[in-house]
Amino acid sequence: MENSIAPPWVELPPDITSSILQKVGPIEMLKSADKVCSTWRRLCHEPAMWRVVKMQNAGADFWDREDDLEKICGRAVECSNGELVDLSLEYFGSDKLLSYIAERSPQLKHLRLVCSYNVSAEGLSAAVKKFPLLEELHLFYIAITKEAIETIGSSCRGLKSFKLNNQICRHPYSERDEEAKAIAQNMPELHHLQLLGNKMTNGGLEAILNGCPQLESLDLRRCLTVNLLGEVGKRYFRQFKSLRPPQDPAEDYGPDTEMHDYGSFDEDYPSEFSDIDLISDDDDDYELSDGSNYSDDDEMLFE
Amino acid sequence: MSSSTKFLTLKTCDDKKFVLDEAIAVRSQTIKNMVEDDCVSNVIPLPNVNSKTMTKVIEYWKKHSEEGVSKDVLMDFDKAFVKVHHSILHALILAANFLNDKEILDMMCQEVADRIKGKTPEEIRKEFDIKNDFTPEEEEEIRKENAWAFE
Repeated sequence: MENSIAPPWVELPPDITSSILQKVGPIEMLKSADKVCSTWRRLCHEPAMWRVVKMQNAGADFWDREDDLEKICGRAVECSNGELVDLSLEYFGSDKLLSYIAERSPQLKHLRLVCSYNVSAEGLSAAVKKFPLLEELHLFYIAITKEAIETIGSSCRGLKSFKLNNQICRHPYSERDEEAKAIAQNMPELHHLQLLGNKMTNGGLEAILNGCPQLESLDLRRCLTVNLLGEVGKRYFRQFKSLRPPQDPAEDYGPDTEMHDYGSFDEDYPSEFSDIDLISDDDDDYELSDGSNYSDDDEMLFE
Repeated sequence: MSSSTKFLTLKTCDDKKFVLDEAIAVRSQTIKNMVEDDCVSNVIPLPNVNSKTMTKVIEYWKKHSEEGVSKDVLMDFDKAFVKVHHSILHALILAANFLNDKEILDMMCQEVADRIKGKTPEEIRKEFDIKNDFTPEEEEEIRKENAWAFE
């Protein structure tokens, strides 16, 4: 009997339908699910559905073309009706889109941009001025300047977590402390900082330790111009419970790492780095949070 | 281990009775609350759940309460568990909602979402037997939306 009658899907309690629609994901919610019937359409367009928006470009094999995704993201922001709190864009995004979002999202607290190659330092700087409540800014492979860091710091006074990961190191020996110093001078409230592949020296690290007294974690993986053997290193190891020093494996650094080919840019690192062993065995402050040990990972990272 | 196993009797809307270890039955937050508030007499009535659906729910509860079952085995079990006809899927969602079992509810909602994904609006309507009830105004709005671009 049951098999012959179609169940009344549209009459499900609204919170269940909302939960189903959310699992369908933002792209298909705004491409197809909201064009099925008036009940679904109303639920798809509820601002509460759009407080958290995570969108990813699935790649060239799919139909997710960048401008198509930008359009959908713009619609998602419209639907949020100013309630957007958490936004994550992967492999798409532009200054134009960011500016559109900035005009309409005064509540934004978390922003994560992964490989949004069309976002410039200027575009990001202009946008963050409209995000006074921003607490988390995570940037992966976004080209950024010292000036942009200053603007971020002065616009988002409550910024607690900052990630700036630009791992592509063409000149592993070049040193540059301007980013570290800009962070130290403009982001005093930081609790968590991740700077993968940064070119800072011990001077930059010291500036951060002085300028960001609230820091609970400082991830310096692949910052190969920092030397933790001296006094600054001692401070670093003393201060943080959760440690990620330069030679720590960087596979789990954030965005879906399987999409990156680590081998290609690791060739840029000279092989002698694999012999570095900064950590003495009797340093009991030091813990590898993922339980891995050095010998294997070093080979994988620096060969 | 508890010294004595307590059993509960659940009665579905079609008057079928299920005798179940209390430790398993309290996977339902609804039943758990009843047990904790001591308002459990001999039989717990489940007016919104039929016996066919309850059998499925109990099958899930028992598998997920077994000791020493590997993650892989559970994953395979879950995969097979959600492969049911639309009508059972729908009934399981309502039952999980009534029993307040978030785990089953989430899994079933995910299954519905997976069946929606990759389809056009028309294909979704056909799959779920949903009527296109848009007014001409809404149809017009949708047409405009498809041509929408942000400036």
